[in-house]
Parts: sequence; C-alpha cells; structure tokens
Amino acid sequence: MTTPNPIVPTSPASPADPANPIAGTAQIFDQGYRRYEGERTGVAGAMSSLVRATWRQALGLKRQTRNKLIPFMIIVFAFVPAVVFVGLAALLPDDFVNELPTYVEYYGFVVAAIYLFAAFVSSAILCEDRRTGMLGVYLSSPLDRRTYLAGKAIAFCTLLFIVTILPILLMLLAYSLQNAGPDGFGNWIETFAKIVLSGVAFGLVFAFPSLAVASTTDRWVVATATNAAMFPASAVVTDLLVGEGNLTPHLRLLNIPGLARELTFRIFNEPQASLWSRFDNPTWTLVLAALGWILVSGGIVWANYRRLLVRR
Amino acid sequence: MPPGAGVNVPNSETVPLVSARNVSKSYGSHVALSDVSFDIEPGITGVLGANGAGKTTILGMIIGLHKSDGGQLQVLEQDPWFAGSDVRMRLGYAPEHHTLPPTMQAADFVQHVAELHGLPKTEAITRSSDALWLVGLGEERFRPMGSMSTGQRQRVKLAQAIAHDPAIVMLDEPTDGLDPVQRDAMLDLIRDVAERFGISVILSSHLLEEVEQICDGVVIIGEGRTLASGSLDSLVNSEATGVVVEVDADDRAVAAFAAQLQARGASVTIHQRRVTIEGSDDSVFDLARDVCADEGLGIVRMSRRRLSLEDVFLESLG
Repeated sequence: MTTPNPIVPTSPASPADPANPIAGTAQIFDQGYRRYEGERTGVAGAMSSLVRATWRQALGLKRQTRNKLIPFMIIVFAFVPAVVFVGLAALLPDDFVNELPTYVEYYGFVVAAIYLFAAFVSSAILCEDRRTGMLGVYLSSPLDRRTYLAGKAIAFCTLLFIVTILPILLMLLAYSLQNAGPDGFGNWIETFAKIVLSGVAFGLVFAFPSLAVASTTDRWVVATATNAAMFPASAVVTDLLVGEGNLTPHLRLLNIPGLARELTFRIFNEPQASLWSRFDNPTWTLVLAALGWILVSGGIVWANYRRLLVRR
Repeated sequence: MPPGAGVNVPNSETVPLVSARNVSKSYGSHVALSDVSFDIEPGITGVLGANGAGKTTILGMIIGLHKSDGGQLQVLEQDPWFAGSDVRMRLGYAPEHHTLPPTMQAADFVQHVAELHGLPKTEAITRSSDALWLVGLGEERFRPMGSMSTGQRQRVKLAQAIAHDPAIVMLDEPTDGLDPVQRDAMLDLIRDVAERFGISVILSSHLLEEVEQICDGVVIIGEGRTLASGSLDSLVNSEATGVVVEVDADDRAVAAFAAQLQARGASVTIHQRRVTIEGSDDSVFDLARDVCADEGLGIVRMSRRRLSLEDVFLESLG
C-alpha cells in the first residue's frame, strides 16, 4: 500500500463551478518513487529494526514453514512440562499438588531445550549474516560493529528469555488461579521477581558462550553442533575432574548448565535442592563465574568481529 | 537536532560530495592507498581500477569502515570516520556479492534496509514497495530472494540502496552477472536514479565500456594511487592529441603514406587503414591532406583523435 502522492494541477479547474462544490478541489494522486524529506530515526531506530529483524530471522517469521520448524519445536518442548504440571495441578487432589516440581526445579526438565535453543538461535543470527553478506549491508548503515553486536545480543537474550522465563511464569499464573500459588500478594511478587531474575541469569549464562562459538565460524551447522556439544561436555568433563579426579570443586564453575541451574537454586534459596555444596562453591563465586563467562565470551565475540574483514 | 539533520547535501556549485586529499592507508606492511586525492562531484562517477588497486579500500573509507592513516577525507562535508552514522544514514550501498538472505522476501529486505537508514516503519514499507516497482520488481516483491535470478537480485540490491532516499548511492559492480540486455536495462536504471531523482551515484566497476556509457566523472586508481580523476569529457579530451586519418588504400599504400608522414617529421601509428598522426595544432590536418594528395590517396575520414576511456585507463597505468 503506498501513500498517495498528490500532484496539484498546474491549472486548477477554475473558476469553480458553484453547482459542483468538488470541482476546483480535485487532485490527481500518483504513486511511485520520490524524495524523502522527513526526519530519520538515527542509530536507535536502526538498532530497533535490527532487533526486530533478528527475531524474525531466528524464529523464521515471514519465511517458509520449514524455517519455523526447529525454533518453534524447541519452544514447544520448553513449554510442554509447564502445561503438563498445570494440568496435573488442576486434576490432582490438593494434597498431591505440593508433590509437583517447584518453579526452580522446572529448569531441570527444560535445560536441554534451553541449550538447544541457544545453540540454534545464536548460530542462525550471527553465522547467516556473515555468510549472506548482510553484515556488510548492516555496516554500511548507521550501525557500526558495536551497535550491530549490541542489537544482536539484545535480540538473542530476549528470545532466550521466552524459554527461560515464560514457561515458569505460566506455571505461576496457573498455580495462582488454582489457589496453589504463593500465599499473599507480597510472596507472589517475590516469587515473580525470582522467576524473572532466575530466567535472566539462566539465559545470560547460556547466551554469551553460544554467541562466542557462533562468532568463530560462518557455518551455522558447525556452530550449532559445537554449541550443542559444548554445554553437556562442560558438565561431564568438570564432574569427572571434580568427582573422579578429586580436583578443586571450583572447577565446577566451568560447568555451564550446572552453573546456570545452581544460580537459580541460590536465587530461590532452596538449599535442599542445590546441586553443589554452598561451602565448596559460595554464592559469590557463582556470580563471579557467571560474570566471567559473560565477559570472556563477550570479549571473544568482540575480538572476532573487530578484526573481521567485512566482505562487500 | 533530529537524527540525520546534521548531514547536509553540499551545494553542488561549491563543495564536492566526496573530497579526498592525500589520503593514505596501510594494512601492516601493505600500502593500500598512498597520497590519494580526488573530488567526486554530483552525478555519476565511476571508480576504476584493477583488482587490488584500492577501490574497495576507498569505498570502505567513504562508508566510514576504515580510518585513514593520513590525509583528509570528507563525505557530505563530514569526516566519515568520526561522523560515520550520520554519513551512512545518507548513503545507499549495493554490495558486489549476490548472496542475499535466501529465505527473506525482497520487500522485507528493502524495508529493513530503509529502516536501518532511519526511515520510520510505515514510510519504509511504502518506499520499499515504490523502489521495487521502480526497478521493475513490483510483481515479484514478495518472492524469497533465494528464488530470484541474478538480474533480479541486482535489481533488489539497487532498490534497497535507494529506498531510503540517499544523497549518494554506491554501487559495487552493479552489472556483474547480467546478460547484455539486462546490463543495458540496469545502466538505464542507474542513469534514471541520477537524472530523475538527483541521487549521485558512485559506481565501482572494472568494465570501462559501461563506465564510459553512463558516468559523468571518473576516478582511476592504480597501485594505491590516483592515476587520473575528473569529468569524463575533460579526461578524454585532455589526453587526446593528434588526428586520425582513414584512407582508401591497401596495406602497402597505407605503409607508404605513413612513411611519407614520418619523412616530414610526424609521429604516426598505423591500425589497419587508420593512421594516427601525433600533434596538437591544426597544421597536422594540413600535413595529412597534403601527403594524401601527393600519394594520390582518397580520404575516407579525417578527425581529431578521440580517446576512449580504455585508452585513458591504459595510458594512466603507464
């Protein structure tokens, strides 16, 4: 749909016909390419457009069905347990509702879906831009490498929060509607805040390492496979080193899924469910480790893009 | 001040769109540009040079991707390195490669690039449609770009470069991969963009013929140096001296004609039945006429020598 472009007649119908009030005010409307004199939205507008385009790119929106298949399947996997638990809470007697997994335990059911989603989406949003030359198009717009990467990171993290926050919020809402939620408004708000904080922490710990891997190659299959292997491998290797090799328990901080889950246990203050001893791994070491993963991975992404020769 | 308001299109009477003065750029020990100076005026300007001559480096510097090591570069009266975003907002750019996102629809792509350059969403939707109609892809605008031919993708690239109404549009090898008919159509479109809409075009190409066909100005780069720059007419005419005489004779008679000219002190070159006589004044015409008369040769054509852009290019390369 194009905005009509009025062409004012050089010799308007005059004198106006008093019997026909329309005569003399008529305009011919044309459409077609013309100059643009309006204001421009600047770098903020460019970043906003980049973020929206990245969401569409990652989820396959406005693309063929096969492009939507993988991301939406993973999102469905992340929501299925929540829907099941909500259904069970509705069907089971009240005494059994307390036996259902807690909010923080939910991450145990979906951690695989989350890291698969991180692996797939990070590769889709970074590798494709380099492979298709879109990076050159972006860098010839008001965006530069910093704002481009910032926009990509914002888009990626918000997408990850779909699978790290929304399913648990769904549980909270459903439990609350069935009178199985937190008691009182204050507790409800506190639980809500913990869910959001946990989801953000969980998402960020997965987001940046997967972006770092995706920044090293143009091939999204390689990046996805590497990421998908990296997360469980970090858990297996560090567990072996600490458990079988009797090395320092601080090595567990290199276990990305474990670190993400342990952070959520600490946020919800559920020591009975904790994976790691609070003596061996105090909370501040977890926070430092998470920040370390984010900063080091972000540094790797920046280093790779800073020296990247943009193909034009 | 609204975004983008700081970038003015310079007064074409006084200030060039792009001005480079002694610009240098090195990558490690490799000197990409050395004391490059040129002006790019409104209109269509071709940037010529062999592969590795420094064309891409210059385009990258105009966009603000690379900082010069020395000298001064002004684009739309601003230093693109320090005012990169403001400058790029008013630049359109069509890359050389054809590998655009294959799953993306052309209309979405053009709209997205227009939004990146600061157009509000509704305006970007409208203008992407208008730009795609302009380049002849109105009916095809909702097709994924992966299903388009090379010619169609070249048109999409032109559409995305102009959709946001840039002051300058930079086209990198815009006819690459096109057949002769498509090539002529693309050159007509580029000419249209410049003449009807007043958008200046910087065209990077290695095809001298098409540059000669549509460009008003030329910058020739070789081994990181400016070999020649200016309007196409001035370059072609300033370099051309002498007279070309085409005679009605066989090879032996042409050789004898040339020998007579040389005997009278002229410097000549022979190409089939055409003899080029060096010299900058009108006496060369008299000399050619007299020798033809003496040798009894008929003159088919006699005119001032006019260089092609290829001649200028080859001469500037030395």
